[in-house]
Amino acid sequence: MTFPTIEFAAFLTVVLFLSWLLMPHPRAWRPFILVSSWVFYGWLDWRWVLLLIGSTVVNTVFANAVARAEDPAGRKLWVTIAVAANLTLLGVFKYLGFFVGSVDDALSGIGIGGLPVLQIVLPIGISFFTFQSISYVVDVYRGDQRPVPLVDFAILQAFFPHIVAGPIVRVGEFVPQLRTPRDPRKVLAGPALFLIAGGLIKKTVVADELARRVVDPVFSDPGAHSGLETLLAIYGFAAQIYCDFSGYTDMAIGLALLLGFRLPQNFDRPYLATSLRLFWHGWHMTLSRWLRDYLYIPLGGNRRGPRRTYVNLMLTMLLGGLWHGAAWTFLIWGGIHGGALAGERWLGERWLGERYPRVRLPRWLAWLITFNIVCLAWVFFRSPDLGTAFAVLGQVGAGGPSPLVTPVLVALAAGAVAIQAVPRDFWQRAEAWFVARPALGQGIALGTLIVIADAAVGQQGVAPFIYFQF
Amino acid sequence: MDERRRQRHEQEREHRREQLSDREPIGGQPNVHDPSHPGIGDPADPRLTMPAGRVFAVVVVALLIAAIFNADAMVRAGEGMKPGTTRDITLSVARPLADVTGFLQLNEPRKGFDLAFGQERKTASDTELETGSAAILERKAKPDAKPAWRQPTSARPLDLLVTGDSEADLVGLRMADLDTDDLLDVETVARNGTALTNPGFFNWELNAEQEMASRDPDAVVMLIGANDGFNVDVDGELYAPGTPEWETEFARRVAVVMKTLGGDGERPVYWVPPPTARDQTYNEIYRSQNRAVQRAAESVEGARYVDIFSTINDGEYSDQVEIDGREILGRQSDGIHFNREGAELPAGLVLAAMAKDYPALKDAAPEPPKEDGRRQLGD
Repeated sequence: MTFPTIEFAAFLTVVLFLSWLLMPHPRAWRPFILVSSWVFYGWLDWRWVLLLIGSTVVNTVFANAVARAEDPAGRKLWVTIAVAANLTLLGVFKYLGFFVGSVDDALSGIGIGGLPVLQIVLPIGISFFTFQSISYVVDVYRGDQRPVPLVDFAILQAFFPHIVAGPIVRVGEFVPQLRTPRDPRKVLAGPALFLIAGGLIKKTVVADELARRVVDPVFSDPGAHSGLETLLAIYGFAAQIYCDFSGYTDMAIGLALLLGFRLPQNFDRPYLATSLRLFWHGWHMTLSRWLRDYLYIPLGGNRRGPRRTYVNLMLTMLLGGLWHGAAWTFLIWGGIHGGALAGERWLGERWLGERYPRVRLPRWLAWLITFNIVCLAWVFFRSPDLGTAFAVLGQVGAGGPSPLVTPVLVALAAGAVAIQAVPRDFWQRAEAWFVARPALGQGIALGTLIVIADAAVGQQGVAPFIYFQF
Repeated sequence: MDERRRQRHEQEREHRREQLSDREPIGGQPNVHDPSHPGIGDPADPRLTMPAGRVFAVVVVALLIAAIFNADAMVRAGEGMKPGTTRDITLSVARPLADVTGFLQLNEPRKGFDLAFGQERKTASDTELETGSAAILERKAKPDAKPAWRQPTSARPLDLLVTGDSEADLVGLRMADLDTDDLLDVETVARNGTALTNPGFFNWELNAEQEMASRDPDAVVMLIGANDGFNVDVDGELYAPGTPEWETEFARRVAVVMKTLGGDGERPVYWVPPPTARDQTYNEIYRSQNRAVQRAAESVEGARYVDIFSTINDGEYSDQVEIDGREILGRQSDGIHFNREGAELPAGLVLAAMAKDYPALKDAAPEPPKEDGRRQLGD
């Protein structure tokens, strides 16, 4: 089941009503929200629910084993087994097919190929709940988290607003909220409804429009398009992926708020960043935090000298790229980010720091460079293969007519960046104003917005969210 | 013992805090619970909160408003669902609602929004697709052994529209890849989830008229059929896929759309029914569809049937396909669609069919598969 569908509208209406009805009775509410979330997740394939339950049970066992181990060696052994088991699960579903194919290619080269081709279906959301499992067990190992009851961890893992594409939530952020019933008199409706409505518009009006009208045509056949169209497709994809992914997480956070729960933010004005480091402050924040805490810091972070820091940055981003899929395009995407993060750190230390304190890039120039590096990396991320990526980049200077470049599409791409500059106070004032309106007016306004979003999508329906595939 | 463990726990935790204090994070520490973040306010702020009951009322009103003004769209969405309980429930609610809102003209605002977003209507009543006669299959096509279609050059490539259901997407992409001489200007328009047997959701005759009027391509490749598992209504009788009546009706519908796409021989139409599927139930229907398309193509001027059912892997489904002598994973996990690599096979077969009308495309078309052991559609 996905958010903007008829099935989900019916599901939400029932779950929202019963959830608040059962909230004062935790013994009834917990199984209710758990089963509801499993129904949501298993709507496409019920076998995925079995996988989710298995992962939840096994990681609860691991977390308890780590906590109960008497000596450090035993704790280390259990956490190693847990991390290895989770990575194996992810590896089987995400990379085994690619790995076997690559080995077969290599063996074919020396005439002994013929390994069986593996057709493995990737369960939606497996990366997200596996990352949450790893963080739970490692946090228990580090002493940052105590084991929690199985049912609490199961609710966190299955909670329907975020299971499919995050945000990646830590046990410590969510389980304490389960311990105290939510106050039905104080639902953060202003932010919740704004996030849901905003996410819906971002996805249907901006992301899908840009994808359909310029990004997909140009990346499907780069050679057939002019430089202007190619540029619009590149910047358009930057806007598309932001509106697609942040639109989804906005809806996820908004839906959780409607049920009384707060999930961590995942995006904070990333395209206003004036450095790559600041970009990662605001882009997919929960993944960036996960990579930092469970990859970058264990690798040594910045504690082993500048060179090792550059290597760690690069390794972390390369692995972050590979998480998206076993392909050179994702590796280069990670490499560009890792290289740029290391590069700006080196520049900051060597040229813009103490030795030349007066050398400062103007903010607009720093923004321009950062934004274009991010867009360059997106070209590789979006392209199905390296050939297409280089063909797109090679087409930037091409002439020819540009019928795909329309004022509406340019405005959508620019608007997706510009809206991030709207002051936060403005949104909070708007939410407060909305909350003060009569309930009927609020419902009519939201209903009209749904009609507009559906009209924007048209008969082809909402395109799948980009991050569902990861 | 528990107390000792707890103390050790606390010591380790303290030690870790000290370790962390001098670490600079990779992207900085996102303060994920900062209430000042846009969109998330303070639960204690009464300006932003509402009681749960009122929230529920607002959601219900919003969904009711959306259902009333979107009733036609709900019917189309229901029509586009796979046969089953969800579809039945959706249509049983949406159809009567659409009747009422249509009578009260409450569907007009939505039409205005459709217009504003440039959305064309894709459903219509009483089109030939739904109500025409099977006589179209009996028409004798003019011989088109020597078609007068413009031949492509690198300087003036052929405007090729690749359309159909989701199968069109990657095949169109791979056709562009194989066209190394730049003889084709490929435009791919995939209408996901559509079928000829479901015009209540998407009317392909109407869409073909609109597409030909706006794009006017030199040639059309049509890949469709994987969603055609619906019963068809012929003179008030419902026929299930696999029956001879269904096959004839399907052939008639194919002929209607072929004729519209081809403009009575103005341009060639290369019609590609589905390939083999992993599920044998689908294969029965696909085999029937292939026969129907072959029959339709024989009756419509400029129409060509492209067989990717019995020519790929001798008509046997396999996740693996052979390309350039190498066995690779060629199908997607659904057991129907080709993946990007595997789509080279149907793309090559379409180009081979096109090369019969456009000899310059011969270089782009790979060698045709071996004929040995090829299964017949009737097998």
